[in-house]
Amino acid sequence: MTLPRSSYRTVIVGGGILGLFTAYRLASAGAGPVLVLERGFLSSGASGRNGGGVRQQWETRATLRLARESVAAYRRFGREFGYNLWFRQSGYLFLAEDPSELARLRTVHELVRSEGLPSEIVGVDDIARWVDGIARNKLVGGTYLRTDGTLYPFPAVWGVYETVRSLGVDVALGVEALGVDVRDGRVAAVRTSEGVVATSTVVNAAGGWSAEFSRRAGLEVPNVATRHEIFATQSLRPFLDPMVVRLSDGLYFSQTMRGEIVGGVTLPHPTGTVGGMPSSPQFLTTMAHALVELIPRLGAVSVLRAWSGFYDDTPDGFPVIGEDPRLKGFVHANGFGGHGFMLAPAASRRVAGAVLGEPSDLDPAQFSPARFLGPRPPATAEHLQLG
Amino acid sequence: MAGAPGRTFSYRGRPWKARPGETVLAALVREGLPTLARSNRYHRPRAPFCGIGQCTGCLVRVNDRPAVRACRHLPSDGDTVRSERGWPSPRFDVLGILDDLFPHGIDTLRGFRWPAFAAPFYHRLIRQLSGYGQPPGGPVASMLRDPPTSRAVDIVVVGGGRSGKAVATRLLAHGLRPLVVDRALTREAMPGADTMGSTSVTFVSPSGTGAPYPFTLLGFTEPGTGLAVRSRTVVVATGGYDASLLFGGNDRPGVLSADAALELSGPARHPLFRRAVVVGGGARARQVLDRCGPDVSAVVAPGDIGPEVVRLASDLEIPLYPRSLLLRADGRSRVRSLHLRSRGRGPAFALRCDAVVLAHRRLPNAQLFFQAGARMEWRAGTGAYYPALDPVGATSVPGLYAVGEAAGVLDAAQEEGATRVADAIAGRPPLAPEPLPRVAEGGPSELDRYYRELLREPRPGRWIACVCEDVLLEEVERAVGAGFCGIEVVKRYSNLGTGLCQGRYCLPDALLVLSILEGRPPPEVGYITQRPPVFPTPLSALAALHASVPAEAAG
Repeated sequence: MTLPRSSYRTVIVGGGILGLFTAYRLASAGAGPVLVLERGFLSSGASGRNGGGVRQQWETRATLRLARESVAAYRRFGREFGYNLWFRQSGYLFLAEDPSELARLRTVHELVRSEGLPSEIVGVDDIARWVDGIARNKLVGGTYLRTDGTLYPFPAVWGVYETVRSLGVDVALGVEALGVDVRDGRVAAVRTSEGVVATSTVVNAAGGWSAEFSRRAGLEVPNVATRHEIFATQSLRPFLDPMVVRLSDGLYFSQTMRGEIVGGVTLPHPTGTVGGMPSSPQFLTTMAHALVELIPRLGAVSVLRAWSGFYDDTPDGFPVIGEDPRLKGFVHANGFGGHGFMLAPAASRRVAGAVLGEPSDLDPAQFSPARFLGPRPPATAEHLQLG
Repeated sequence: MAGAPGRTFSYRGRPWKARPGETVLAALVREGLPTLARSNRYHRPRAPFCGIGQCTGCLVRVNDRPAVRACRHLPSDGDTVRSERGWPSPRFDVLGILDDLFPHGIDTLRGFRWPAFAAPFYHRLIRQLSGYGQPPGGPVASMLRDPPTSRAVDIVVVGGGRSGKAVATRLLAHGLRPLVVDRALTREAMPGADTMGSTSVTFVSPSGTGAPYPFTLLGFTEPGTGLAVRSRTVVVATGGYDASLLFGGNDRPGVLSADAALELSGPARHPLFRRAVVVGGGARARQVLDRCGPDVSAVVAPGDIGPEVVRLASDLEIPLYPRSLLLRADGRSRVRSLHLRSRGRGPAFALRCDAVVLAHRRLPNAQLFFQAGARMEWRAGTGAYYPALDPVGATSVPGLYAVGEAAGVLDAAQEEGATRVADAIAGRPPLAPEPLPRVAEGGPSELDRYYRELLREPRPGRWIACVCEDVLLEEVERAVGAGFCGIEVVKRYSNLGTGLCQGRYCLPDALLVLSILEGRPPPEVGYITQRPPVFPTPLSALAALHASVPAEAAG
């Protein structure tokens, strides 16, 4: 394919949910023309590979607020973008298996309450009522936030894609961003597999490939892509409402609208970085073991398919949003550590703001790319990187 | 086995007797083709289609276990077998009305967005249209009777059919003793070879060259014992299966694959049908005529009919309809007639029948090659992907070999192919450097031209593109019309190929249809990435292997 124009005001690298949402914000603000480059097909990256969880229980106020704003946006999504996400607010249930885990959840709970959200500390009896057949022996309690929930990631991608196209955004599928041309210390063009496109601003929303693209632009970044695996079982009649997350091993699962149990677990050893996206015997057996141990009756249920995708991790667990101080016109929108989908509606507003040079409400010590360039590591961190 | 006691199970409150080695389905079909389930979305009747443990047609609940394939379950005394979908019965289901109420499908992609306050109600409603069965009733102690199997071997042959057997025999002659893992429930052990029956390999992971055992295979023995095998060399002899075909009412009870007709009919069995229309004009159609000839009333083929079928059919006085478009199968609870039109010209007409047996196209079981990361190539002859092979039969992954139908080797050359692979593994120099005759590579396939013509026809009746998930052909067309293209995107857009058959019966046809709708050759529409496992694998089996799969074996 050839690109429709030879020059754009903004080129967004990555046609995942964040790139598309950012294009939507820019196009709605009349800040065109915008080009989105997607090297695969729509939803081929993490936006089409995640478990669909959307939660507001976080260890830091900054992440929590982005999540809360995103929940509100996803509630409106169907009426705004024409596709039904089946966003089911049936809660996130965090499980603790010892007092120290419960204490950690209690801290989260207090923060969540202080932001006006109806978080609850729950006992083992409540948990057993919500998760029928759960083995109670190891549990000591947990937290539950009923306004968290799960959604279908795909229609979100379809909806924003159709909307931005109707707003005049060009989305080039199967086109790879190869590098950036710099003139006078600022972005002048993006080199793509379909030729050079002149632009003054490039947004790096490439998810698991973001570090690679930053390096292609000559910028060293601390982002690391890690492979995470997930599986879906055969579909069962509805029996489980909340998303369940176990703190000890990062086991998480929910039952989708189609009845499948979809979930993953944190592996003690990472099973590879950017490259292929296969599944591993370690994941299949570890995940099956964790799930059957927690809910023994699921032993007779079969795994239907397994897949994997990439988290784009940062050292402090916060995403990177904003212009890179080393290269004018190079805007980061990456490092979401596996939570890009649930934060995208809110985060994309700040990314668009950075492109347009508007003041940001985000604390630069937590979100700015500059925080990794100083002599000291960032002061705060977001560690609740599960589910 | 004569005089052996057999097993008694109950179905619909009645005792049924299964002979030794007989599955629940084999026992049930002695009284004719049963309607065992309803589809999730539109509650369309579901009856056995494939007979070989791949489709969604014979799902039943056995005791506490949901979605058990009746064709894969060897009953124990006292088993309770139930249908889970369909009230009061799968044959007469009140919710079957959904099918008539929504002639163009239930639009869950764009529908149910207004009013906002109704969302929780819509969620409850639509969730009711999901699930093959209630969750299991309790822990599955009975499935864990046997401890998991964990082994390290030099050579594993996956599949104990014709080619698998030939490879194993030749390896034995070379003094090598392979492990033969075979999915068949009843095949006898091979003398001299190390054989595991009733066992499906569902996952292969190459952990890279240099490791002592470069391959890890996971699987399970029916009903749920885990299997982990580490191996130096893997020979894939997984064979093939009979494809589905798109026409109106293609999911109706009585539409069967040739696999089912051959698997479920036989001596001392009640015939599955009395007047079947056999679809296909090649070797597979001939096999069906050989076995079921007296119960066949016509042979219809999308393309030409081969001389052997012509000869056999004329001996049996069966009329032939070569080069025909299949328009729709009619009938309420079972196929009553098949509507056809001669290709290129002619009026539509109907054949009365009680079954439509699809024997027109064989597809390879190539999932393990995809999983192992072998280089695949498109072959238009059958319209499928096969592993790229050197003349010996080695894939692009060192240590991984392919034989037989899964490798696309033509029938007459399968023994030769097995010999070459076994000799190569034994370190013998190859004698024949010419490649083996395989499925044709180039050109548009006959089926491609067939679908081009068919898509121009008016389409009365329900055209189900994906039978497991009730995805309509028009929903696929709507996706393309909305600008979403490529098999991977259409799959995610429409749910096509995401059900229990894992896309086996819909994606090959969908690929051809999309290629026509998008105006580009099938390999550009997509590479059908079949996600592991090859067959749905019980969590209990995988969980039991937890300790046998070393964590550091990651690639």
